[in-house]
Amino acid sequence: MIIREFGVRHGRKVLAAAAPLRRGQQQCLRALSTETSGTPVATADPAVEAALQTNPENPSPVPSLFARDWETAQQLRRNLMPVGTKVEHRYSPNDVFRNPPGPKDVTLELLMASQAHMGHHASVWNPANARYIFGIREGIHIISLEQTAAHLRRAARVVEEVAYHGGLILFVGTRPGQTQIVTQAARLAKACHLFTKWTPGTITNSDKILPGIPVEIVDELDRPVGPAFNQHLMDRRALVPDLVVCLNPLENFTMLRECSQANVPTIGIIDTNTEPTWVTYAIPANDDSLRCLAVIGSVLGRAGEQGQKRRMEDAKNGKVTWETPSEIKQFMEIQQKRARWSKRAAEEEAAATSGGGGPNGQSSTTPPKSSDRSYGRTPSTNRDGTPIFHADEALAELQMEVDLVNAEEDVSPQLRNTPRRGD
Amino acid sequence: MSSLRTGSRCLRDIRQPGKAATVPWQSTSKASLAYRPKQPFNVTRFIATTAPRSAETTEIIPSDLESADQGQSAVVRVPYARAVPVSPSYFSRKPIFNDAFVVVQDLARKYARLPIIPKDKVTPTAWRTKEQYRLAVGEHAKGRDYATCMKLAKRLNQIHPDLMPEEVKAGLLPFKREVNYYLNQPKIQPIDQYGRSHGVGKRKSSVARAWVVEGTGEVLVNGKPLSEAFGRVHDRESAVWGMKLTERLDKYNVWAMVSGGGTTGQAEALALAIAKALCVHEPALKNPLRRAGCITRDPRKVERKKHGHVKARKMPTWVKR
Repeated sequence: MIIREFGVRHGRKVLAAAAPLRRGQQQCLRALSTETSGTPVATADPAVEAALQTNPENPSPVPSLFARDWETAQQLRRNLMPVGTKVEHRYSPNDVFRNPPGPKDVTLELLMASQAHMGHHASVWNPANARYIFGIREGIHIISLEQTAAHLRRAARVVEEVAYHGGLILFVGTRPGQTQIVTQAARLAKACHLFTKWTPGTITNSDKILPGIPVEIVDELDRPVGPAFNQHLMDRRALVPDLVVCLNPLENFTMLRECSQANVPTIGIIDTNTEPTWVTYAIPANDDSLRCLAVIGSVLGRAGEQGQKRRMEDAKNGKVTWETPSEIKQFMEIQQKRARWSKRAAEEEAAATSGGGGPNGQSSTTPPKSSDRSYGRTPSTNRDGTPIFHADEALAELQMEVDLVNAEEDVSPQLRNTPRRGD
Repeated sequence: MSSLRTGSRCLRDIRQPGKAATVPWQSTSKASLAYRPKQPFNVTRFIATTAPRSAETTEIIPSDLESADQGQSAVVRVPYARAVPVSPSYFSRKPIFNDAFVVVQDLARKYARLPIIPKDKVTPTAWRTKEQYRLAVGEHAKGRDYATCMKLAKRLNQIHPDLMPEEVKAGLLPFKREVNYYLNQPKIQPIDQYGRSHGVGKRKSSVARAWVVEGTGEVLVNGKPLSEAFGRVHDRESAVWGMKLTERLDKYNVWAMVSGGGTTGQAEALALAIAKALCVHEPALKNPLRRAGCITRDPRKVERKKHGHVKARKMPTWVKR
């Protein structure tokens, strides 16, 4: 829409403001004069012409000195900092993350320094914690650090052994500021972490809460196995942790309840106001101090790291410290059966064709009727050659296989009762 | 480790007590199908929260089952297998976001001391909004967490470009849009070899094309001078309003073609076309021209007639019975 008052009101001012042209834009000589020039204006100097043609958006790369200067300044600072003073080591909150203490480093001094002994006001205590309490000072319960150290060492042992036996450990700390603690512990112990709200039902209703979150199948050396288990990964149920370490049990009662329902052992930091029976392995300590939690978390993380290290060493020596979970074992059995069955079917087909053809050319050991139908069918395969897995067919074939093997030799009775997922 | 959580998950696992850990091919491997273990058994005790279980043995099964599965690529070839989560944030339900969030937090902690530049000096970055991130990742990241994460990410983005570490760039990548539209450059309109610039303008149903060349102020619209093309003075003024306003009326010649619509539409379409072409000659005029309303396309069109109405909105006269 044309604004006609504009020229009258503002024309002169904005024109004056617009007069200095930006660099690199074409100068309009016509704007300077009302006279027309018939000939185009040529620039005399080719160097000036070239300078005008350069694109101001992409100037020639000038090496920036900022990074070099900054590095020099840092170097200078490092060199000059100790001059004129005696620098001694002070406590830094990051020390526990730079060099995490392990179970061997647990001392009463360390626990005292990290304020693990500070309980709550005596009025809010839980009497079940009486055996962990050393006394009352200034109205505050003091936790016995001997108890803390003993329970912490026991919990570290539990974490280490669970890690050694290939268990899935979960570190939970859902208060603000505990993210770094749980992520570091999980990183050390090759475990899981949770620093956001525990979704109620993650264990007891995991079929609804955790579907589609990626899981992989690994072998004894933690190498992912190939696509052989893809069908199983699509069918299987969600994972359940084998051990849960909780830094703030007060806020995570739901999670601890679910763990106890699912027989998952738990380790929890129990302050004087917390119910110690919520967790399987209590660590009496101050759960309000991030410094104390960082020490405990790193001790448990180091323990898990040690367990993983031992497990990998044993696996390299041929000793596997865990057994294949039952659902994976069932899947593997079905796959083995299918492989053997298809091989035998191929052999029998080959024998039938080489034996002169006809229904009477088959071997005499072939069971009648029921297996004929399935034996004659070639296994359907995917485009890449992998066989398509159908649970119903596999089970039917498995039953036939069992019948077949029973005819020849004895077989373990558990094959007949292979359960089916979802029944 | 499944022995630790034999609660709800393993109820469906029907096992014989004596044959808990035996594998079926142990008993069926007599004659035809040779699955014999090549190594001796290793007997280990498993950790258990209850009484020790009987017959917990593990077998080292030969991983090469060459006798059975030739030609089948998907056949299970490993003796041991267990399921582990891909992400350590498995139990948080939002593994992708939480992993990226942890990375950003670690980077912010690690590079907190690198020098930063002011916010207005940072190259504009097209961040993903919360909704865009949710759509791209497929996880319902919480708004508060995403806001915290973006605060850290923007602080990391302020690190001086000469000192920006590669891992920071990689860590911020999930929160950036694929296309940084802030870096889009407008296409530069050329002036042709005869010194003409071309502009197109539309208004109502009219379309105008104008070629502007340096000259003495001659205007030809559809081959006719301005006074013949537009009978109304107001329209004549509208057509060259951009030039008149910027005092360029006597410095350029205009040759224009207009079609469609009526005189008002044609005149104002012409104003738009001339203003655009003028901007090609003198880009600095764009701002005053915009403020005069000569750059913006007027989007108003004739409103369509509706059924039940006499015109677009007029209702038929109401008659009692």
